[in-house]
Amino acid sequence: MKGENEFYIGYSGEVGKETKKVLTRFVWTAVFVLLIGVFLFGFLQQPAVNSSFDFGDPTQVSGVYHESPYPMLRVQLSEDEYKEIVLLGFGKSGPNPFLKDLRKKEGVLHGKQMTIEGQLIYYNGKTLLEIDDSQKVSVSGKGDSIVPSSLGKATVAGEIIDPKCYFGVMKPGYGKIHRSCAALCIAGGVPPVLVSKDENNVEDYFLLTDLKGNAIHQDIVPYIGQTSRLKGAVEQLGGWKIMRIDISQIVKLDSESSIY
Amino acid sequence: MGLDYKWVLWNAHKKTYDRLILLGMVTYLVLFFVLSFLTNPEIIAETVIIRAFGSLAIIMLHIILSIGPLSRLNPRFLPLLYNRRHLGVSMFLAALVHGVFAIIQFHALGNSNPIVSVFTSNMDYGSLVNFPFQVLGFLALLILFTMASTSHDFFLYNLSPKIWKGLHMGVYLAYALVIMHVFLGAFQQDTSLLTVLALFLGLLTLVSLHLKAAFKETKIDGMAGAKDTKGWLAVCHPREITESYAKIFTVDGERVAIFKHEGKLSAIHNVCKHQGGPLGEGKIVDGCVTCPWHGYQYLAHNGQSPPPFTEKVKTYALKIENDMVYINPEAFPEGTAVTPIYCGS
Repeated sequence: MKGENEFYIGYSGEVGKETKKVLTRFVWTAVFVLLIGVFLFGFLQQPAVNSSFDFGDPTQVSGVYHESPYPMLRVQLSEDEYKEIVLLGFGKSGPNPFLKDLRKKEGVLHGKQMTIEGQLIYYNGKTLLEIDDSQKVSVSGKGDSIVPSSLGKATVAGEIIDPKCYFGVMKPGYGKIHRSCAALCIAGGVPPVLVSKDENNVEDYFLLTDLKGNAIHQDIVPYIGQTSRLKGAVEQLGGWKIMRIDISQIVKLDSESSIY
Repeated sequence: MGLDYKWVLWNAHKKTYDRLILLGMVTYLVLFFVLSFLTNPEIIAETVIIRAFGSLAIIMLHIILSIGPLSRLNPRFLPLLYNRRHLGVSMFLAALVHGVFAIIQFHALGNSNPIVSVFTSNMDYGSLVNFPFQVLGFLALLILFTMASTSHDFFLYNLSPKIWKGLHMGVYLAYALVIMHVFLGAFQQDTSLLTVLALFLGLLTLVSLHLKAAFKETKIDGMAGAKDTKGWLAVCHPREITESYAKIFTVDGERVAIFKHEGKLSAIHNVCKHQGGPLGEGKIVDGCVTCPWHGYQYLAHNGQSPPPFTEKVKTYALKIENDMVYINPEAFPEGTAVTPIYCGS
């Protein structure tokens, strides 16, 4: 074997000719492996959607507060146009901790005109607002609240997600990788949302409540981030659909989620 | 070799080695970021950080695990082994960035402790497809942390080479956990056939290299001759051993290296006291048996490191009869002087 008498001692400062050749080949192979790795892991990532989270860029929003099943702000965009903005808290929490002081001071908030400074989250026609400071919420009078209208019963297959991450904070904000985060968000007070996608890739969203129309959080955690089939009575509340479900009737489907 | 402990005993080779590690890591990360934002403009920085450092750590782990068997198969690879611990610590740091960012991203700012949340936010432990894969990554990171934090001769000496080596064999468990972490996590959602194939290929390459190196080792273990009437073992002809080098034989289950130095033969235990390196694959340099892994030295006739160093290995008695080298399988205590036997060539 060529270079058989070469003997490497780390501290001696000498490297034989054949050893150098082998090492050079190894280094170039490692460089090649790294480049292949960059291509495979970097280039072949699934494209992220154009959802947005205005982190560090707060917006002041005024509208009529709607309490149940999940806090929302009905904002008037033009004479006959409104948008219902779902309210969220900081981190993996709902808005209630940030509305506590205001409730003590003002009593029932439902139907009152409210101004909130927070960070907007928006995607695919839906808008949410993160409140990170209870001092940035104020009440200024009364307004017209929304009334839900029935859309009948429906059975929908999709994935239960936390809307804070799905509509902008994280990319991807769904699926198995994100499941733990979604579970913490929903357990922490973020409303659960069922996302379904039809054959034309059009997504539909349902805020989920129990059969009485009350908010659900911890009880739905085992079903988050997996493909499931849900059925229940659907209502339209402004720009959002609400589905009243019996959690025990959720069917987990062993199939890949259509939103991946 | 050193008499006291320093953070790093720097030399020119270690500096070159570390520069190459740093250059490789920085190049990978820069390319990953540029490629991610160019081809996927809506992606967020946190996701890119988690993916870039995670994938870098996996690739580095494959490179690290290939060095051991490659060095067993071809001693020209030994310079890679010499400073492998720096590569290991660098890989751990990449894995740590991945782990910390993932824990902050997915588990912080919730209503439970982020570490507790890693174990409790997904309780589908009974399901393979829905298994909480983050737990696997967390356990791998703990093993890698234990290894990285003890990657110093201080711990090697104080824990004893046997325990230290056993601890550092945990890298194979960490590798298995990392592979499962990826297959039960990322590959369940963001799957590309090419990335799955690449990881399979990496696994296959490592298994093949380790099997090939193990096969070579079994050949050494098979190199033992017949015993004579007094229990001495016939091993080889004197001319089969090259001047300044050794041949390795298995004697009563222990590997022994028979060195030839200035026409005389001496036998010492094959395992270096530093990290268990194969002394018989070393060379006599400046009159000392020099370990091929990290250059630890021993005098062939008494198995002692030259003063002021204190390492000692067992020695063995040799004899030559009818042009055949015989070894007494009963070892002398570590550091016992044995007169080398003259063999003429």
